[in-house]
Amino acid sequence: MDDRARVTPSVTMTDEAFVLLRDFIYEQSGIYFSNTRKDQLANRLAMRLRANNLGDFEKYYYLLKYDPRASRELRALFDSVTTNETSFFRSPPQIQAFQASVLPEILERKARVNENTVRLWSAGCSTGEEPYTMGIVVRQVIGCTDSRWDVKIVASDISEKALRSAQAATYNEYSLRTVPPDIKRDFFVGEQGLYRVRDDVRSLVEIMYLNLNDESRVRLMRRFDVIFCRNVLIYLDDQARRRFVGQLYDCLDHGGYLFIGHSESLHNISRAFKLVHFPAALAYKKE
Amino acid sequence: MRTSVLERIKLIDDLPTLPSVALEVLGLAYSEDVSIQGVAECIHRDPPLAAKVLRMANSPFYRRGDRKIETLHHAILFLGLAEIINITTTMSVFSALTSRRPREVRVREQFWDHSVATGLIARHIDRKISMRFLGREFVAGLLHDIGKIILDQFFHDEFMAAYTLSVEKNRPMHETEMETCSTNHMEVGFFVARKWNLPDYLADVILWHHQPAQARSRDMAALISMADMLAKASMFSCGEGGVPFVLADQEAWRVLEERGFDMDGLDVERMTFEMESIGEKVRDYIDTVMEPTPGGGSNG
Repeated sequence: MDDRARVTPSVTMTDEAFVLLRDFIYEQSGIYFSNTRKDQLANRLAMRLRANNLGDFEKYYYLLKYDPRASRELRALFDSVTTNETSFFRSPPQIQAFQASVLPEILERKARVNENTVRLWSAGCSTGEEPYTMGIVVRQVIGCTDSRWDVKIVASDISEKALRSAQAATYNEYSLRTVPPDIKRDFFVGEQGLYRVRDDVRSLVEIMYLNLNDESRVRLMRRFDVIFCRNVLIYLDDQARRRFVGQLYDCLDHGGYLFIGHSESLHNISRAFKLVHFPAALAYKKE
Repeated sequence: MRTSVLERIKLIDDLPTLPSVALEVLGLAYSEDVSIQGVAECIHRDPPLAAKVLRMANSPFYRRGDRKIETLHHAILFLGLAEIINITTTMSVFSALTSRRPREVRVREQFWDHSVATGLIARHIDRKISMRFLGREFVAGLLHDIGKIILDQFFHDEFMAAYTLSVEKNRPMHETEMETCSTNHMEVGFFVARKWNLPDYLADVILWHHQPAQARSRDMAALISMADMLAKASMFSCGEGGVPFVLADQEAWRVLEERGFDMDGLDVERMTFEMESIGEKVRDYIDTVMEPTPGGGSNG
């Protein structure tokens, strides 16, 4: 349950303020709040109003737009408008496709040309469950002692708060509810009722702040073999989706794969990828 | 050289047979002077079959509206002659193929689950790209693999060896069957379809569903070929199931594209998501077909 949903806004958001904030957030992050989500936005920003001692949403807009504190507030705004719903081994058939087909295919292709670097990216990694799941799978596929491969998993998000959790790599029992017992035993270290991801998995993961709407920064992300970008597109409108998916295509190496959220689709968004059917899972391949 | 399993199947005297009434109905379907009365009277001559057809017509799968269909005559009026012929074909083939208890119940269940799922997916695609096969695509999906049942029934050990090899090595069944039986389910199914005088489109799909460009009924064979792959990807598989594929690179896709169907307009992702919930429909259908008919013949 999202705490923010329970906060009742003491101040009403006028339609004018909604349009100003909606367009501002869209411009900055690509995240789009449709008219039906006005109350949700008001709920989420009520806390920021209180934190800044502001009386209405228009004033908050001016703070974001013109105040010297704007850039710091922007980060707090992103923390508020993003949803950090995630779990380990989310959508198991996708993880299975990654483990049983995609990763072995990539390793085999690289081995043939004597290449040893593997670059994976969890775009919109939230509190880290996804990149660590990828790391665990990598360890399962290539083992913990095989030093032949140079594997890096970039984990990026727009929410600094979420990234701090990802950095800590420590989770409670509830977060691990979807982790099979043998994996829990092999890849986590128990510490006073909490579980910390083992170092040889953590060391694969590089955590970084990245606004996926910042084209100049995303352009620097290159030559990835696999990108997991699940449940990010749902927050974007069609135009932002097209632009962003086009960028993800450029971020991938030839032969690379893109996984998007279960039930998300690139139909009418991009024709550049090949749609691949795996058992109960889909992925997009750049040929 | 050892005689192939197919040659030995051709010599078997007690191969399953279709009820004579079913053969007559199929014959009527392609005659010039087909009438509702004629078809109804013909089915009535086989009371267990008539009961099964009525039950199927009243199942959630075919039923339209709340009104219960009481007579075959009504069933034909409500569902149309084409659907009644489809139902008669399916129920007859089902009876013939389920008359003996299978030795591996689990594999047989997987077989029917895969067959029904293929039929349902074929029906789904038929509607999406307006192929207008009027329910024949469901029959074709349901019966495309019947050769597997004949192999299983008469050459069980060889068939199971092919099955195990396919699952363990993740290889297509028709390849592993070739290794253990020197034939495959397409050839065996085709032989039986011809022996039973099944309509040409069915015999064609049975023989060519892995190479649809070779078929005379190319559209239908391509449709079933696609549905077959998608059923496997949706975890409705009997044998291999884990082979990734690009649908748009398949022979079936190319055939349908060349034949002018709007493949660009087909939202494959959405279709795949919609298929995730077909499990319940598959079970419903199988329950209706397998339910024993009171006072009638058993279907095993």
